[in-house]
Amino acid sequence: MNKISGALTEINKLNSTAQGSSVMHRLHPLAKLLLTIFYIAMLMSFGKYQIFGLVSMSIYLFIGFHLSRLSLKEGLWRLRLILPLVSMVGLANPFFDSHQFVFGSQTLNAGWISFITLMLKGIFAVLASYLLIATTSIEQICYAMRLAHLPKILVTQFLLTYRYLTLLLEQADTISQAYALRAPKQTGIHFKVWGTLAGQLLLRSIDRANALYDSMLLRGYQGEYYYGGPLAAWNKKDWRYLVSIVFLLLLLRLLPWSLLYTKILGGKFL
Amino acid sequence: MSHIHIDIQNLSFAYEEQQPILQNITLHASEHEAIGIIGANGVGKSTLLKLLVGLYLNFSGHIRIEEIPVEAKTLPLIREKIGYVFQDSDSQLFMTTAYEDIAFAPRNYGLPEAEVERRVTQALKLVGIQHLRDKQIFKMSGGEKKLVSLATILSLTPDIILLDEPSVALDPRNRRQLIKLLNSFEHLKIIATHDLDLVLDTCQRTIILANGRIVADGPTQELLTNRKLLEDNGLELPLSLSRK
Amino acid sequence: MHMADALINPTVAAVMYAASAAAAAYSIKKVREENNPRKIPLMGVMGAFVFAAQMLNFTIPGTGSSGHLCGGLLLAALLGPYAAFLTMIGILTIQCLLFADGGLLALGANIWNMAFYGCFVGGLLIWQPLIQRRLSKARIISASVVGSVITLQMGAFSVVLETAASGISELPFNIFAFTMQGIHLAIGAVEGLIIAAVLLFVYQARPELLAGAKAAANGSLTFEKALAFLGSAAVLAAGVLSLAASENPDGLEWSLEKVAGSAELEKSGALHALAAQIQELTSLLPDYNFQGSESAWGTVFSGLAGSALVLLVCVACCYAFHFFKHKTA
Repeated sequence: MNKISGALTEINKLNSTAQGSSVMHRLHPLAKLLLTIFYIAMLMSFGKYQIFGLVSMSIYLFIGFHLSRLSLKEGLWRLRLILPLVSMVGLANPFFDSHQFVFGSQTLNAGWISFITLMLKGIFAVLASYLLIATTSIEQICYAMRLAHLPKILVTQFLLTYRYLTLLLEQADTISQAYALRAPKQTGIHFKVWGTLAGQLLLRSIDRANALYDSMLLRGYQGEYYYGGPLAAWNKKDWRYLVSIVFLLLLLRLLPWSLLYTKILGGKFL
Repeated sequence: MSHIHIDIQNLSFAYEEQQPILQNITLHASEHEAIGIIGANGVGKSTLLKLLVGLYLNFSGHIRIEEIPVEAKTLPLIREKIGYVFQDSDSQLFMTTAYEDIAFAPRNYGLPEAEVERRVTQALKLVGIQHLRDKQIFKMSGGEKKLVSLATILSLTPDIILLDEPSVALDPRNRRQLIKLLNSFEHLKIIATHDLDLVLDTCQRTIILANGRIVADGPTQELLTNRKLLEDNGLELPLSLSRK
Repeated sequence: MHMADALINPTVAAVMYAASAAAAAYSIKKVREENNPRKIPLMGVMGAFVFAAQMLNFTIPGTGSSGHLCGGLLLAALLGPYAAFLTMIGILTIQCLLFADGGLLALGANIWNMAFYGCFVGGLLIWQPLIQRRLSKARIISASVVGSVITLQMGAFSVVLETAASGISELPFNIFAFTMQGIHLAIGAVEGLIIAAVLLFVYQARPELLAGAKAAANGSLTFEKALAFLGSAAVLAAGVLSLAASENPDGLEWSLEKVAGSAELEKSGALHALAAQIQELTSLLPDYNFQGSESAWGTVFSGLAGSALVLLVCVACCYAFHFFKHKTA
């Protein structure tokens, strides 16, 4: 089914882009992870009318996309899953916000401003995450998580789920295709066989998990998941990037952007 | 005289009470031997291999690997000496990259990281897949995964290698590569398989299982050319011989 | 129901991360105590299974639409609530990173809204008591449906609360809540039926799988159940009661003061602005939102934060409790 092949394609695409060798790719994964979270937190800390400051934060994305040579189109495509809810919530703003922004002889419903800030926040956040995941392999992200002292068992779950994801997606795909070939008029799985089809996949997965466990036992597994040495070395370049971006973002966050409203546009909120 | 051998005496095993799988199996395997275990589906070939590595312990009789009896206490020791290659590579390989999977065993046995790296490199070289070192497993083909599976057990430098249906899901070229590789290994090898032609090409000795017992144990050339013996036990002549 | 980063502000995000982290820490502890290493690969593969199963389109008879399987309840039935919770964390993280389904900052909230309720309310408080007494077809179906509906209702309501507390939308609480609850009622029922169908199949094919989780659950669960119940009830009560108590769930006064207030602050100098912004960012109950006047958002948010803190304190006590128990044992 489309959903499944879409998911498989997405995984493969991200895999290939993560194999690149740009400046961004070679940065330490922990630096990228921390920066991404910091950036998104900064973004979300803007108030709903603080549009100018928010727009200035796009500098981080410009720098990122330039350094990583990633495709902006790909990044924007990833918006599709969260865009509906965000747009719906955002579009309510012009309707329900009774404030106005008055500048000169113009009056603008303040709800439009908050709508735009909401959309921008959504877009920028997704693009920032894309920058992270497209330049950092899953193994490196797990390495960053371990460095951040995330419990081993969680990282293990993450890795195992990722490892078997494509396999199970392919199996689900096979099941869907086999079903579709014998139920041409239906668009999905009929409820009479919900249990059987999904249940079969489930039981097969459990059997596989048991075989997996045997495989781990045979190689000395006793409950502790061991990881190897460092996957990336932290060097001065990483410090410089981290510090300069943090400094830049803090600066942008703290500048008095609302002066643009009052002094330059000469307007105010009512 | 070498200590590398397997001794099985009067082995019987059943998953459930009323359904015995193996009955009174006795066999001795020595160093450098390559033994093919063949038989119809469900006859217990895989089960026999699993018993050798102690995946089931509720058997009767004796199994000794290099003089060490197979029991709960000795499992870590035994599993250092025997490597088991699963039929389904996706059940064998559970890390994300080949390197990590091959390193799994030595790390679990507490070896320092530098040593682990050395062994992984060695294993990759032995199997001829250095180029797959950092490749992600889910992107690999069936043949590549099988080779990585082999490498994962070689990193503990076992004396004995067990293979369960190794040529299933391999294309002709990969299969040929596997055969060449197996022939280059000096280990004691036991291969449970349907692929009688593989047995012809890699094993000097063949054991035929039927109804849970060993019905024949002898040189491959003799057993696999004996049409009646094979057909009586749910098998056929190897393809390469049946065309004549 | 995955929340994007845009719908949440850093403070709310931090609170939810803290709550989810506490629940995760406790789950890890319980899973370690179980000492069943076989579960580790099982959790991983189950995680991948839930992911794949979510992609299967289950058509609903009569309508043209399709439902899908969430996972918390299903995993809890097979693995027990604690292992299930950890598995869900893995799933949600992968969804967030690989598919941009839910934001990175909102991940803590998403884990709470979907995994916590699914595993601890659906799994621990609803599924287990119903199944404990007797495992039967009827009980499986009712536990699945009731569990799913309640789980999704709580999850949807939490989304509304978190969005409201983040102050990014003018959408009146009533309308938002009504829509979300309504939609998720239908989704919950369908999902419950899907889960029931799968579990019935497992029950017929390999009943020991369900019994296994059941057996593991026997024991001193009263404390955990009480905790889960308290935690969820507190969150809900805080939200509902605080809004029922307010007369004007309208952000007019608050927004006005916020904008005017911040404009004033930023005018009076960089250092002042810096201090104000830092305070904004680091305080748990940011004053800037309320400026002295009691508003609906204020109470809602305080309620939410308060509940999370209560939960944290409870869990901390729990640790202390077990710590002392082990000491004296």
